[in-house]
Amino acid sequence: MTAFDRRLLLGVALGAPLAAAMPARAQQDIGRAASFIQATGQELVAAINDTRADAATRRQRVAAVLRRAVDIEGVGRFILGRWWRQASAAEQQEYMKLFEETLIRNLSARFGEYQGVRFSLGRSQQRTEDDVLVNTIIERPNSAPFALDWRVGDVNGQPKVVDVIAEGTSLRLTQRSEYSSVIQQNGGRVAALLDAMKRQIQQLAAREGGTR
Amino acid sequence: MPFLSSTPSRPGRGRLLPALALLLPVLAACAPRPDPADPDAVAEFRQVNDPIEPFNRAMFSVHQGIDRFVLRPVAVGYRDVVPQPVRTGVRNVLGNLRTPVILANDMLQGEPRRAGDTLGRFLINSTLGVGGIFDVASSWFGVRGHTEDYGQTLAVWGLGEGAYLFIPVLGPSNPRDLAGFGLGIASDPLTWVGQGAAVDALTGTRAGATVVDTRESLIEPLDAVNRDSLDPYATLRSAYRQRRNAEIRNTNDSVAPSAAGSTGFGTGTGIQPPRRSDRE
Repeated sequence: MTAFDRRLLLGVALGAPLAAAMPARAQQDIGRAASFIQATGQELVAAINDTRADAATRRQRVAAVLRRAVDIEGVGRFILGRWWRQASAAEQQEYMKLFEETLIRNLSARFGEYQGVRFSLGRSQQRTEDDVLVNTIIERPNSAPFALDWRVGDVNGQPKVVDVIAEGTSLRLTQRSEYSSVIQQNGGRVAALLDAMKRQIQQLAAREGGTR
Repeated sequence: MPFLSSTPSRPGRGRLLPALALLLPVLAACAPRPDPADPDAVAEFRQVNDPIEPFNRAMFSVHQGIDRFVLRPVAVGYRDVVPQPVRTGVRNVLGNLRTPVILANDMLQGEPRRAGDTLGRFLINSTLGVGGIFDVASSWFGVRGHTEDYGQTLAVWGLGEGAYLFIPVLGPSNPRDLAGFGLGIASDPLTWVGQGAAVDALTGTRAGATVVDTRESLIEPLDAVNRDSLDPYATLRSAYRQRRNAEIRNTNDSVAPSAAGSTGFGTGTGIQPPRRSDRE
């Protein structure tokens, strides 16, 4: 089975949310992806560990790195999956805003937890279809190190993070399952997810204030 | 499953039957089928693989209650009272006691090198490691532990997972992994070493220690899921199934602690597992 066939099948199986985005994505170079992750990781770690700045400043630095490095649009649409087309234009717009905010706040709420974090490239970098999986090791003081794989795709000629995989578990798949379930449990209303996301952002913001 | 029928009945069926009896109300609690005219909804329904979701969610609430009032407090107390080196020793002993099951499944999956690792670890840790308390095979010889179970073997042999199941205390599972869990108990030599109060006390202690050790290793990841997920049930379901697939493919041997069981929380939630704590 060729990569294209597999991808087609996968796309159909997942409701083809990415089908429109596929042709724009070209093959990714392993070395380029690894150095991209290395640079991005260093920037994130530097922002998190900059204890001279206050939490808001650090959050803004982290946000700038994430906006540049992550395919927020593509990942956000992938995660909303089949509900993207059922959402109104206004809901789509609000979802994207909330999704980006969630991504940033999820990290900034953990500044305290991640204080002193170190990051290094792991041994195995491998290609999967058009993407590259870049393996990294995250080390924190007083905590067991763990491995994170970053899936790097090519979006309009630029390397972008399209997924993060922790110990065999893809974050975007887990999050898609979570979001879709929230919508289904609320009678198929995308608005219910947006409300839940807003509440979550408030909680994350409160934690960021508490961890400083 | 040829050896399910030949399984001696005492421990295997004794534990499986209540679980199976629990499944009976399932027939009355099927999830609403998706609209057949909506291919995306149908595709998602198949992909999520949870046709008895209302029943599973009910079991999940039961579990969350037990967890909140019993399992988690016990795990937290265990962590507070027992110092880290002792807890590591307990984990190592439990992992060492799982050797027969891991070894059998390494072999049943046709993995002689992994079987060699498992056997070598058992010999070294049982002797130099003082009955398995110290994982010297890993720290001195660099042979890290891995986990295998009958659910994984059945998967390697081509058996599908079946519908998703959530079982209180055991956690996320499916018919294949649940059958594997039963086989693991039935095939474990420790289950058969004799009878009497002393043996029952030992096997009971071991089962209890496994539950406490596993829950202790999951305090942070499960706290994170319960706090951060908009739907912890759905998050655990997705994480369990993905992680289980990674374990079956042996793509990530750091996935599970060596004491991990064959189903549910024993093989974890996929979120920040205690990656090296089993060999500290």
